[in-house]
Amino acid sequence: MDEKRFDEVLRDLPRSFNPPAQPPLDDMWAVIEDAHFNAPASVPSHRRMIRQAPWLAAAAALVIGIGIGRYNPRSAKTSDNPPPPMMASARELASDTSAVVDAYRDQTSHYLGQAAALLISLPAKDASGTADARFAGKAAELLVTTRLLMDSPAAQDPKLRSLLDDLELVLVQIARLRSERSRSDLDLIHQAVEQGDVLSRLNSAVATNQSSE
Amino acid sequence: MSDPRVELNSKWSRRRTAVDNDHRVNESQLIARVIAGDRVAGRALYDTHAPRVYSLAYRMSGDPERARDFTQDTFIRAFARLSQFRGDAAFSTWLHRIVVTVISNARRSDVRFAREVELDEANLIEANAPEAEPDLKECIARAVENLSEVYRTTLIMHDIEGYTHAEIAEILGVPEGTSKSRLSAARGQLRQELAAFKE
Repeated sequence: MDEKRFDEVLRDLPRSFNPPAQPPLDDMWAVIEDAHFNAPASVPSHRRMIRQAPWLAAAAALVIGIGIGRYNPRSAKTSDNPPPPMMASARELASDTSAVVDAYRDQTSHYLGQAAALLISLPAKDASGTADARFAGKAAELLVTTRLLMDSPAAQDPKLRSLLDDLELVLVQIARLRSERSRSDLDLIHQAVEQGDVLSRLNSAVATNQSSE
Repeated sequence: MSDPRVELNSKWSRRRTAVDNDHRVNESQLIARVIAGDRVAGRALYDTHAPRVYSLAYRMSGDPERARDFTQDTFIRAFARLSQFRGDAAFSTWLHRIVVTVISNARRSDVRFAREVELDEANLIEANAPEAEPDLKECIARAVENLSEVYRTTLIMHDIEGYTHAEIAEILGVPEGTSKSRLSAARGQLRQELAAFKE
């Protein structure tokens, strides 16, 4: 093999040498998630865990939402045929799924409640303004959760998705108050909240969630 | 008269573009959340890096199952040690150090295992079994396989996976010049191994 041919071989290596298959991302994640997040040794008591890491509950619930999407409880519904003995595991799955749904609902309510509280307590349009870092910080924090929710199967619910879209927009603006607050900023935020009917949709979403508990 | 809502939306849209990047869910936020046990953040972090980690693992192993095991092992280890991540290097660099270590450890035990198997099976192989002429692809695979571990890793990372010398140096913890000289040596050995190949 001459130099020229060898150079061709080198150039062709990315195509010819062990070209990777499509990564099985979901399958690998299932193993990683189980090993890391469900490992008994690393899981303290539920109450302590939530006290130490309040986001944990929300996070767990969100992932659980992914689980809901994957498990699709409808497929676990009873059919006309009596369940074979093997269906014990399906019953366990249904019970797990139910717990998952509950946890997910609780935490979504919690998030929506926090968002509503923030919007309700926003300074009035004409409030004189020392920039309120507290609001901005809280908004930035909720913004992260909003975006995680938007990327999760929770956003498959069109109503919630639309609410999250509007909330994201509002939260981005509130988070920006940290650095530059002006009356026009606040006006814009209040207008967006009012015109998008964000607060009443939030309340309605919280109520819907609570009534399903 | 223009619709105030349209006007507002357009104003919002412009402002949103301007401020959006400031508040993207950044990696350090994700890491903090994973440490706190946030699975969604874990998945987000995983989604960002897993394809590249898997691709490297696949190139190094040539086997989908092993690539999958290496990737899983890498993330399990990374998440377990995430609180030790100080942010001195980029998270991706830190993660790639882990995957390279995982693969390297596995290869070392493979070599030990292969030696034992070879010894056990040596007597079972017929001495005069006809051997098919290997094609170029096989020759390349064999030549890459025969490289020493550091040469092989450097060649795969640079020439195949497209890592820069700066990245390789940081991941492997060597000076950039070392990465360059290793690549040059690896190519030299490869050239030598393939020199006799006739198409």
